Amino acid sequence: MSDRISRRAALVGAGAGLAMVAAPHVARAQAATLKITTWGGKWGDVMKGEVLPAFEREFKCKVEADQAFPFLPKLAASPTSAPLYDVLHTNSNEQWSALDQGLVMDKLTVREVPNIKDVYPYAVSDRIVGVSIFTSAIGLGYRTDKGLAPPTSWKDLADPKLAGVRGAYQIPVNSLGQSHLLLLGQLYGKGYQDLDAAYKALEALKPIKMVDFTGQMEKMILSGEVTMAVIHDSGILRYEGQNQPTEFAAPREGVLSLEQVLNVTPGSKVKELAFAFCDYMLRPDVQKKLAEAVWYSPANKTVSLDKKYADRLFITPEKVATLIQTDWKWYNARKDAIDARVARIMRA
Amino acid sequence: MSAARSVYLTANVAILIFLIAPLAVIAIFALNPTPYIQFPPVGVTWRWFQKFWASPEFTNSLVLSLEVAFAVVVLSMAIGGAAAIGLERGRLPGARLVTALFLTPLMLPAILTGLAMFQLLLSFGIGRPVWALVLGHTVVAVPYVIRTTLAVLSEFDRRVEEAAAVLGATPTRVFAEVTLPLIRPGVFAGGVFAFITSFDQFPISLFLVTPGHETLPVVMFNYMKFDLDGTIAAASMVSILLAVGVVFIIDRLVGLRATVAI
Amino acid sequence: MPAVDTLDLHVQPGEFFSLLGPSGCGKTTTLRMIAGFETPDEGTIAVGGRDLTRVPVHRRDMGMVFQSYALFPHRTVAENVAFGLRMRGVPKREITERVATALGQVALAGYEERRPNQLSGGQQQRVALARAIVIRPAVLLCDEPLGALDRKLRQSMQVELKQLQRRLGVTLVFVTHDQEEALAMSDRIGIMNAGRLDQVGTPADIYDRPASRFVAGFIGEINLVDGTMAGGRFTARDGTPMPCPAGSDGPTTLALRPEKITLGAPGSGVADGTITDASFLGDQVIYTVTTGAGAVFLVKERNSGAGHLRAPASAVALDWRLDAAVLIGRA
Repeated sequence: MSDRISRRAALVGAGAGLAMVAAPHVARAQAATLKITTWGGKWGDVMKGEVLPAFEREFKCKVEADQAFPFLPKLAASPTSAPLYDVLHTNSNEQWSALDQGLVMDKLTVREVPNIKDVYPYAVSDRIVGVSIFTSAIGLGYRTDKGLAPPTSWKDLADPKLAGVRGAYQIPVNSLGQSHLLLLGQLYGKGYQDLDAAYKALEALKPIKMVDFTGQMEKMILSGEVTMAVIHDSGILRYEGQNQPTEFAAPREGVLSLEQVLNVTPGSKVKELAFAFCDYMLRPDVQKKLAEAVWYSPANKTVSLDKKYADRLFITPEKVATLIQTDWKWYNARKDAIDARVARIMRA
Repeated sequence: MSAARSVYLTANVAILIFLIAPLAVIAIFALNPTPYIQFPPVGVTWRWFQKFWASPEFTNSLVLSLEVAFAVVVLSMAIGGAAAIGLERGRLPGARLVTALFLTPLMLPAILTGLAMFQLLLSFGIGRPVWALVLGHTVVAVPYVIRTTLAVLSEFDRRVEEAAAVLGATPTRVFAEVTLPLIRPGVFAGGVFAFITSFDQFPISLFLVTPGHETLPVVMFNYMKFDLDGTIAAASMVSILLAVGVVFIIDRLVGLRATVAI
Repeated sequence: MPAVDTLDLHVQPGEFFSLLGPSGCGKTTTLRMIAGFETPDEGTIAVGGRDLTRVPVHRRDMGMVFQSYALFPHRTVAENVAFGLRMRGVPKREITERVATALGQVALAGYEERRPNQLSGGQQQRVALARAIVIRPAVLLCDEPLGALDRKLRQSMQVELKQLQRRLGVTLVFVTHDQEEALAMSDRIGIMNAGRLDQVGTPADIYDRPASRFVAGFIGEINLVDGTMAGGRFTARDGTPMPCPAGSDGPTTLALRPEKITLGAPGSGVADGTITDASFLGDQVIYTVTTGAGAVFLVKERNSGAGHLRAPASAVALDWRLDAAVLIGRA
């Protein structure tokens, strides 16, 4: 580590020296460009409308934010010495497969990203590659107008009354579906790695509506196509104040965490800027703005949210303790076999 | 009315419904006030169309898609038309093989073509300029033009060109005054396909668009992942109507009906 | 094998010259060499003393009419006819006049604004003809121009084309596989066979004095008798002496047109035979006569009066005038 620091210091020194010689010219001619990935939707609106312009002003750079999937294949196809992105923002599972392919750094620490000192442990736990800046809680979304008792346990999804009107995700393509599958092993079997129990439990949930991504599930709950479904809290909470007959329940067994993870590519030409960006995203004011825009739970402990958000989001040590982090390394290693098995179960 | 005739009519109506149903669903989704597909619709609203037109992301991408599509049409007609003439007339050794090669993009999954182009561009350090996107679309559009032009060329009576030559036309003038006008319906029919392929192109664009300069299908796809509402249906309606409009205009200009088997 | 082998052909100015032969004989290739679409491996092609062998098609100043008409489908009749003039940079006003004249010459005045697909086959071929003659070519090449027309139309077009050619004084090279057409229209005919020119001559020459077995067989029907010439007398292989013009000694073939044989009472002619078959064609009757020695002759007899048909199996004598027969060398 000390080796890395001294090299960084040397680099900064050299950069400063250069800047003194050619400062006016260089500064005008080519402001550094930071290439990142980011989400679309409301998140994208806030990022593009406020967060990124402010970052550009403060760090005198340009940010190029790619919202067009698929991030990982594009990054993988680009040369490692000149990666397509400097900062990769994805969910946790994709960071693990990116690490597997050597596309991202294995760890971010307070040394590169000082604000990491203030994050909840889950944000830099050994289940995380990079740093988690937000998390959502995956629980059960349900209709309040169907005469249904609010669910308290994950097992409530198996209620026979919900046959055909319960919803989950296409397991091969959706990480919510994947973590839910492992959870089934824990609920009905010997633990998260008890796949046989998980398969059996999945089988028992049929007939079930499976969708590709969470946006679809939000609409299915809104339209009443499903009565209860696996969904992340923000997918329900974001409609608050619109008088929708929908609610989110955090099962007593705990909620699955859906982390928003940032990481830096090893070949990035603007690594300092990339680290600075990760740090910036963990700043309390930035965290608050985004958390309240999209109902994500901020990873920074020091953020103080408005009451409405503070009441619902996972920001107290007690609530954060109920987050279940999926072992993606373990899962990704078995993904093909699981996909094949699940495909058989769903076809039958 | 005979039984056979009523069966025939029923079958036709069924096929028509089968073809139109998806469009109807999109139309209902686009005009229905609820942010999800609902049947029967609860009302009629323009709000999704307004949201579409008010969104710079959508309108910019629509403009980009149209610009790219027009460039692709022009390029693929030039390349495809020339290639078809060369293949049909050039007496090239291995013309069959080359024809097959030219038509391979039709058989390859476009996502592979896109990925391959993406890697090629990056490994040469070219990046992803707009012309690369145009080129990527052109690669998959050219085979359509070759196809339709070859179809016309195979029916072509070369004596007509000989007649022009005997009458004093230089090879250049024979081409300009006789060959070109006669293969034009084929080239333009291919151009229509090229337009539609480019305008609707998703798999190739996926890799070749750059942040902030995405084409409409890519923006729609990404939008759908986060905000699935009627705006997506409105965008679909707009792009369908635009595509139909362009086909209609080209048909008016050159008369696609004059084109033989495509 | 070359499509056209050694070929020496001279066409006179203002002549209607037909190249006649079966398909694949090289007549079209010959025409296309004259037009400039094909280049001969050796030799020259000249018009009026000007060597055209290496002159490209578009500078040969010839007119050409194709069997498929080859009209420009995307242009009107007037535009089709005007094309050659436009290529020559003729002033607009003159073009209009000359197009009108040419269309008048082929009796298509008033059709200027039609499109080729709105015309009948005969009309289209007239447009093609007008388009070819409007540039006043020294040579007009016609590649089976009437081949796509029905029989009636073809016959009237033959007359028209011939008259037009006379009126314009254009040298016309006409390719056809239709012997009747060639005989009816041509000043001279060249018979082609397997890439070679077998015989060139007037229609009468070709018909009455075929120079080869091929020519004899290709044009009309003919009786061929193999035999020997000795001391000025021809004896058929079966031993029957037959009248014929003088010729050198040796094995040869006697050619005799069926209509030049007369039928008489047995014992009155060259040989006796019986009628083994008869076809009534209206203006004439074709009899098949088998001689005592077993030779078979076709005989055409004009239907000069009612009820004059000869009964099958009746005995007849074959006879012909000395100069009715021709000797042709063994081909």
